[in-house]
Amino acid sequence: MKQYNTAQMQKRSQLLLRQWAAILAVAALFAAFNFSMYQVLTRRLAGNFDGTFQARMIDLESYLPHQEETKLPETHTSLTLTGDLPVLDGATALVPVYAAVIHNLYPEGCVTFEGGTFSDDNSTGENFAADSVMQYKNTVRGYKAVVDGETDVFFGAGPSKEQEAYAKEQGVTLVYVPIGLEAFVFFVNEKNPVDGLTSDQIRKIYSGEYTNWSDVGGANRTINPVSRLAGSGSQTSFLKFMGDTPVGGKSLFALTGGAIGFSFRYYMEGIVENEAVKIISLDGVYPSADHIRDRSYPLVSSFYAIYREDNSNENISVLISWLLSEEGQRLVEESGYVRVVE
Amino acid sequence: MKERTFLLILILTAGIGLALTIAHFLYAIYAYQHCSIIYFIGKELW
Repeated sequence: MKQYNTAQMQKRSQLLLRQWAAILAVAALFAAFNFSMYQVLTRRLAGNFDGTFQARMIDLESYLPHQEETKLPETHTSLTLTGDLPVLDGATALVPVYAAVIHNLYPEGCVTFEGGTFSDDNSTGENFAADSVMQYKNTVRGYKAVVDGETDVFFGAGPSKEQEAYAKEQGVTLVYVPIGLEAFVFFVNEKNPVDGLTSDQIRKIYSGEYTNWSDVGGANRTINPVSRLAGSGSQTSFLKFMGDTPVGGKSLFALTGGAIGFSFRYYMEGIVENEAVKIISLDGVYPSADHIRDRSYPLVSSFYAIYREDNSNENISVLISWLLSEEGQRLVEESGYVRVVE
Repeated sequence: MKERTFLLILILTAGIGLALTIAHFLYAIYAYQHCSIIYFIGKELW
């Protein structure tokens, strides 16, 4: 065995210490980077990215028709549909409206579930049976379902170009009946000092011309313009808002910045109710119900009851007439939206 | 430790760190594409 004197031993110990220090430094470098990334980004994503959560962007159980504890309004209407009951489906934001229609106009027992009782513990966040008059496919799958004849009436915003093209490909003409008004809104974190922007500023943010909040009078922080899933109602409305202005790309670094997103007013205020975000004014007007009603807010749009023109279900015309009646419009209002017929 | 052993541990440590960081990146990209933007913006640090 090789023998070492004290000086050699000391030198070896120092070398060993330096070697371990180097190894630990490399490990610490990676740990520090990943911890920072977790704090800035991953922490904000955890637990809310899977398919079930997305499908549960509304607490569907609170809006089930004919349940004792439901958030749905009662209209005490004299109309009850019988016979061939139209199957209803809709966008997430409009669940309160079409579920309320079933709650008030349909007989009990027509909303059914796989296994007998409601469950959202699955990949689609619902378990409506195939013969149930209430379905929840959301906008992307829901438009296809109404074109394919699986749904009789779909409640949603106007279609995307792709959804229009799909109906045309299938040789289907869809009828769009405006039944209420809603505002397309932009929102930021509640602590972001910016409370309002102009349409032009927002287009410049999403086109990539403005990249820092200081460009629009805010803090010196990168802007993270966030978009939605293609084909969703809000993404379609957003692309209409952008018009001919192309949506620009963004750097990976922008993910760490202060974000701006978009949605519909009632979905944010009445359904999600997240107090950590705030809706901002657009062109100096806040999207309150009054400003939607008098259309002073710039991005007021109708939402529709949509059905196939060749659908022979006679209850559809009865349902549409009722929706446009005083009782139907009151239901739209009591569901949290703004009436389209005064 | 021998220089060869040291380099081996160093490369192994860097390799594991890099693999975990790439996995973290892939997870974050997938999660970002599928997350609720309202919750994402709500959890922002200011």
